[in-house]
Amino acid sequence: MGDVILTMKGIDKSFPGVHALDHVDLEVRKGEVHALMGENGAGKSTLMKVLTGIYSKDSGTITFEGREVEFTNPREAQDAGIVIVHQELNMLGHLTVAQNIFIGREFMKGKFIDDRKMNEEARKLFDQLGIDIDPTETMSRLTVGKQQMCEIAKAISHDAKVIIFDEPSAALTEAEIEELFKIIRDLRERQLGIVYISHRMDEIKVITDRVTVMRDGGYVGTLITKDCTKEDIINMMVGRVIYEDPKTESQVAKDAPVVLKVEHLNAGRMVQDVSFELRKGEILGFSGLMGAGRTETMRALFGADPKQSGDIYVNGEKVDIKSPKDAVRHGIGYLSEDRKRFGIIVDKSVAENSTMATLDEYMKGLFIDKKKENDVAQKYVDILKTKTPGVDQLVVNLSGGNQQKVVIAKWLVRNCDILIFDEPTRGIDVGAKSEIYHLMNELVAEGKSIIMVSSEMTEILRMSDRIVIMCEGRKTGELGIEEATQERIMHAATLRN
Amino acid sequence: MDKIKENAFVKKVGFNSLVLFCILILLYILFAVLVPIVNSDANANFVSWAHILSAMNYACFMGFLSLGVTFVIATGGIDFSIGPVMFCAALIAGYQLTMKEWPLALCLVLCILVGTAFGTLNGLLVTYLGLPSFITSMASMMIAKGLGSVCTKTQPVSWPQLSDASGNGWYRNLVRTQIGDMTFPTGLVILVIGAVICAIILNKTKAGRYILCIGSNREAVRLSGVNTKGWETLAYILCGTLAGIAAIFYVGVYTTVQPGLGDTFNNEAIAGCVMGGTSMTGGVASIGGTLIGVLIMALLQEGIMTMGLQINYQYIITGLIVLVVVYADLRSRRRRN
Repeated sequence: MGDVILTMKGIDKSFPGVHALDHVDLEVRKGEVHALMGENGAGKSTLMKVLTGIYSKDSGTITFEGREVEFTNPREAQDAGIVIVHQELNMLGHLTVAQNIFIGREFMKGKFIDDRKMNEEARKLFDQLGIDIDPTETMSRLTVGKQQMCEIAKAISHDAKVIIFDEPSAALTEAEIEELFKIIRDLRERQLGIVYISHRMDEIKVITDRVTVMRDGGYVGTLITKDCTKEDIINMMVGRVIYEDPKTESQVAKDAPVVLKVEHLNAGRMVQDVSFELRKGEILGFSGLMGAGRTETMRALFGADPKQSGDIYVNGEKVDIKSPKDAVRHGIGYLSEDRKRFGIIVDKSVAENSTMATLDEYMKGLFIDKKKENDVAQKYVDILKTKTPGVDQLVVNLSGGNQQKVVIAKWLVRNCDILIFDEPTRGIDVGAKSEIYHLMNELVAEGKSIIMVSSEMTEILRMSDRIVIMCEGRKTGELGIEEATQERIMHAATLRN
Repeated sequence: MDKIKENAFVKKVGFNSLVLFCILILLYILFAVLVPIVNSDANANFVSWAHILSAMNYACFMGFLSLGVTFVIATGGIDFSIGPVMFCAALIAGYQLTMKEWPLALCLVLCILVGTAFGTLNGLLVTYLGLPSFITSMASMMIAKGLGSVCTKTQPVSWPQLSDASGNGWYRNLVRTQIGDMTFPTGLVILVIGAVICAIILNKTKAGRYILCIGSNREAVRLSGVNTKGWETLAYILCGTLAGIAAIFYVGVYTTVQPGLGDTFNNEAIAGCVMGGTSMTGGVASIGGTLIGVLIMALLQEGIMTMGLQINYQYIITGLIVLVVVYADLRSRRRRN
């Protein structure tokens, strides 16, 4: 490791209602690979966005190559030599590799683009990095791994001094990861500073020199990788005090009937051989890091996305779920993690949203029985204590928590016995949050069963009777609430295969 | 503004529809004043029953086209085939009537069925194959044009006159009916009845509810367990059927149909619909608005012709109005989000 090239000190950033970064420090040296770790929402991405000028910081200093800097956009950061290789690649699929690399700064021959020169330059770049890619190939024909190599080459061509890899290995095969590591080691040799964001413990141990851990927007500490164990890192990641009382024991009888059984569910890369059971009156938590495949599992189960294989049993009976219509018919309701896109219809009224899944029951002959519809909508506004001036109010005018209640009302009107709550409290303020928790507890007390997908550890530990943990499309653990701890959950959530 | 909001009548009819209605009246007054100034011809008096009747001719077949396409636009789609489909229906049914001597009633039914068939085709292609509605309806527009020509061996078809010896001319009474000395715009009455039925379908039935909701957020409706493909297809079927009905009124006005034409009516029908406050992005539609939009278009056409100007001026004005209306709609949406 060489001299310090980048120092972020006391970085503070608040968004309305959220203290996203609380005096975070990060130091990167020349010729080191520095891991940045933390749970979902720990603030890693926010920190990198502050660094590259996507967000402005509230306080703190960024020193780069000995000078204090403040970038106002990623372009400035890039010009200075700080480049991010994103998880989602920003490539134009129909252009060639060389055209992508030199986009925005094409070589010109008079008024025309000089493709030949760009191909030559790209080839030189690849040779230098030891990458075997044809610069004239169309980008979309490359594998994800090769595309990522192109991103790296592009970064190098910008004369980058610090490269940030944001979960680079998430979409790669083993062989591609090996190749990636080879390149990263090569970059390290050349005295570049590298920030490596990943959830994969084993990779961290293999490729990085130091680890900085963040938790809940705060800086926890920096360790030398070879001197610490996986457990040390996990403890730093999850070692928070849980304020709300976690559930200590499940009230659900061990022999409660199984209302939903999923066996060997497969749906693409994100859902591989997932099996679990849901018992009557139970809240089954689904924990895992971003991209663990939890939402994908739920969507496949609900029929929202096609599945390749797998059996689903509702109340012991095998059911064939091909579309959400089938799932709803079997009494399954799904509250999506993206309320505005998949849950509510914002420019329609509370009443219209409430009966969306049940309209057949609110017909008088050919016509919608508006009075009956309003009555049932009002009933659930009262039960759920939804704050709305009336049932004809457009949902767009309600707050996040109340919008969520309208979605819940939709499934309660349908009288669904199995409810899938995907991130039920995302984007909801604290008060409304505890109301939703209270409501979920009431629902299971009435004999309904809930699957709760959540990225918040506290929420998982507070609400669940049992916890299924997923990592990269596979189920990697299952814990009763009695035996569940943050450490054990995080251990399973970072377990690759 | 608050006062207007509280008024139950305004709420029921919709603020936009009222504004549109005022524009319609103002436009009429404008033409009443302008026509005598611009055109010194003695016959050029705009305030006459004859001009109203003439405007209504155009309004009644255009109205059915616009009503139909309102359903499709409400789902967030578009149908560019309605004009040629109307012509295709009139050609095929007219050919059967005049050359094959099918009974008139059967030919009128055939007219509607041809429209329904095209609507169904469009709907199935858009929903079940996932083709973009723009492209799909462009393609079926070409098919409709070609099919109409093929079926009539590229000859124009003339539906019988009212006085025709066969007695097959009575369908023309659907457009205007002679009662003594008085000519009655039957077509307009039927159009209004049609609009009322469409408004009931759109606002009071399950089909209308789902069509509007699909236009707002298709995925949320699908994830509520609704057969979105089926309901969306229905919107196209309704649109095609109404184009078939429009064909009856078209021949009721002009009797003669030329093969290979009809595209201009697409744009005018869609313009009427958009002018009436139906959002091109779907989810918001007003049947009353569409009806008034069509009447405005009809009035524009009649007024400009009476002024002695070319029909091309109508196109220019309509184009400008559509741009303004769509921009206003876009802005109000952006503000809301």
